[in-house]
Amino acid sequence: MPKAEIAKKTLLGVVPVDSPFYRFHPATRLMLLVFLSVTPLFVDLPEINLALIAVALFLLRWGKVQLGQIKRYLPLLFTVALFMFTVAYLAPGDRATLTPFKLLGLTFYLEPIWWAFVSYCRLIAMLFGAILYFSTNRERDLLVALRTIRLPFAASYVLALSLRSAGMFMEDFATIREAQQARGLDLESMSIADKVKLYTMYAVPLFAVALRRADEISNALFARGYTLSARPATGGKRSDYLRKQYRVLARDWIAIAAMGLAFGAVVALRIGWGAFTDDASLLKALFRWVVGA
Amino acid sequence: MTVRWAVEVEDFSWRYQQAREFALRDVNLKIPEGSFTLVVGPNESGKTTLMLAIKGLIPHSLPGTLRGTVRVFGQPVEHTSAPVLAKRVGYVFGDPEAQFTALTVEEEILFGLENIGVPEEEIGERIRWASELTMVADLLDKPPYDISGGQKQRVAIASVLAMRPDILILDEPTSMIDPLGKDQVVQICAELKATGSMTIIVVEHNVEAFAHLADQVVLVYRGQVVRVAPPREFFEDLEFLAQHDVSPPQVTTLFALLRERGLYNGALPLTDDEGIAAGWQLLAGEGS
Repeated sequence: MPKAEIAKKTLLGVVPVDSPFYRFHPATRLMLLVFLSVTPLFVDLPEINLALIAVALFLLRWGKVQLGQIKRYLPLLFTVALFMFTVAYLAPGDRATLTPFKLLGLTFYLEPIWWAFVSYCRLIAMLFGAILYFSTNRERDLLVALRTIRLPFAASYVLALSLRSAGMFMEDFATIREAQQARGLDLESMSIADKVKLYTMYAVPLFAVALRRADEISNALFARGYTLSARPATGGKRSDYLRKQYRVLARDWIAIAAMGLAFGAVVALRIGWGAFTDDASLLKALFRWVVGA
Repeated sequence: MTVRWAVEVEDFSWRYQQAREFALRDVNLKIPEGSFTLVVGPNESGKTTLMLAIKGLIPHSLPGTLRGTVRVFGQPVEHTSAPVLAKRVGYVFGDPEAQFTALTVEEEILFGLENIGVPEEEIGERIRWASELTMVADLLDKPPYDISGGQKQRVAIASVLAMRPDILILDEPTSMIDPLGKDQVVQICAELKATGSMTIIVVEHNVEAFAHLADQVVLVYRGQVVRVAPPREFFEDLEFLAQHDVSPPQVTTLFALLRERGLYNGALPLTDDEGIAAGWQLLAGEGS
C-alpha cells in the first residue's frame, strides 16, 4: 500500500500536502506569482509594496510554509539594501538640486535615499512573490502551469530543467564543501579573505561536475527520445498526460479573475490617473519630518 | 525456423574524438530477437561503447570516427531518429542518477512515454505496470534523488520499461547497489525474460547473478568481441576466461577444480542451486 505522504518537496523548501495552495490549479498559482511580481512595477507608493510583502507573508503562513524557511533570505535582503543605499549615498546625483540632511555626522540627500527606499520596497515585494511561488510549488507544478498556458513544450521543459539544474548545482556545492570539511577544513576559524579564496577554489570542481552533468542529461534525453521539436516518433501531437491530471475549477477562475481585475485596476489607475506615485506617501512625509528636511 | 536478428553489428569500429586508439575494432555480433545476452569483459574493454552504438548515442550524440554498421531490426542506427530509437531500444545507464531528468519518480517514468507518443489514456496503465513490476509503485511522488541506490536503479529500469522497447539494455545494473537491490534487479530481469517480449542485453561484471538467465554470453576484450557462446559452453574454458580477466561464477570455478582433480565429471553448474544439486550427486557417488 502506498505510504501516506505528509509533505511535498518544493523548489525552495518543503510544504505539507494539505497546504491550501494545492486546492488551486498550478496555473492559478503561476498567475499569483505573475501578479505579485509584476504589480510592484506599476507602484511607487511604498505603502502598497509593503502591503504586497505582507500579503505574500500571509499567504506563506496560510499555505503552511514554515516561516523559519524565510530566514535564509535575510542575508540577500540585507545585501540588496546595503548595495542600494550605499549607491544612493555615494552617487546621489546633482547635489545642487537635492535636499541635504545630516545623520550621524554625515551628509545625505533626501531624494536619492528616498528613491532607494521606494525601489527597495518594490524589489523586495517582487522577491517575496517569487519566494512564495518557489516555496509552495514543485517543478511539476511549474511544468503543468506552463503547459496550461500553452507555452511550447520545449520552452517549458528547458525552463524546468534549468530550475532543476540550479538545485543540483547547490547540492553539488554542498557535497564538495562537506567533503572538504570531512578532510579537516575548518571554515569557522578562517578569515573572510581566506573564505573568499576558498569559494574561488570551489569553482573548479563545480564547473567540472556541471559539465559532466550536462553531458549525462543530454545523453539521457536522447536515450528517452527527446527532441527539441518535441514531436513524438508517431509524428502526431505530443501526449500531455501530466497536464490532464489537473482540472481548472470554478475557484481557479474566480482567483484568476480577481487577480486580473486587481492588476488591471492598478495599471489603469497608474497610467490613466497617475495614481500610486510616491507623492501621496505618508512614509515620505514621516521620513522628511524625521530627518528635518 | 528463420532467426530474426534484433541487433546486427558488422565490421564496426569506433574511435572517440581526440582518442588515439579505436575503442572498438572490427566488431561483428548478432543478437537474436527475444534472447537474453550477457556481455562481459574487463574495465575499459569497450562493452559500454558497444551498447552506446546499439542505442544510437554513437554516433548521434557522441562525436568520433565510425566504420561499419549497427542495425536494429534491420534499420541502420546511424539513420534512425532519437524518438524511433527510443521506442525500439531502451537503455538503463550504470549510474541511475545520470539518466534522471525529472523531479518525481512518476514524471521520470512519464517523460519517455510522452516523447514517444504513447496515447494519454494508455500512459497511466503503463506507469502502473512498470512501477509495480519494478517495485517502485509507492515512490511515485518522491524525488528520484532522495531514495536508496537500489530504488534509484529500479526507477531507472521502470522509466525505460514503461516505454516497452523491443530491446532493453542494462549497463552494469548492479554496480552501484546493495546485495538486496542486486537480487531485486536480477528478479526483474528474470520476470522480463519469462515474458519473452523483449530482447535483453545486460552488461555486467557480476556474472554470477545473470549467467543462468543468459542465452548467450559475449566477451569483449580490448575493443573486440573475442567469444560468443551459450553460457555453459562459455564458462567451460576457465583458462581462456582467466587470460581475458573474466571471473566465472564461484560455484563454476569450484566444480571446475573438482573436475580437474578427477573428483567430478558432470556439467559445470552456473548457479548455487545447480551447485548444490551437483554436490548432492557427488556425495551420492553419482557425479564422479
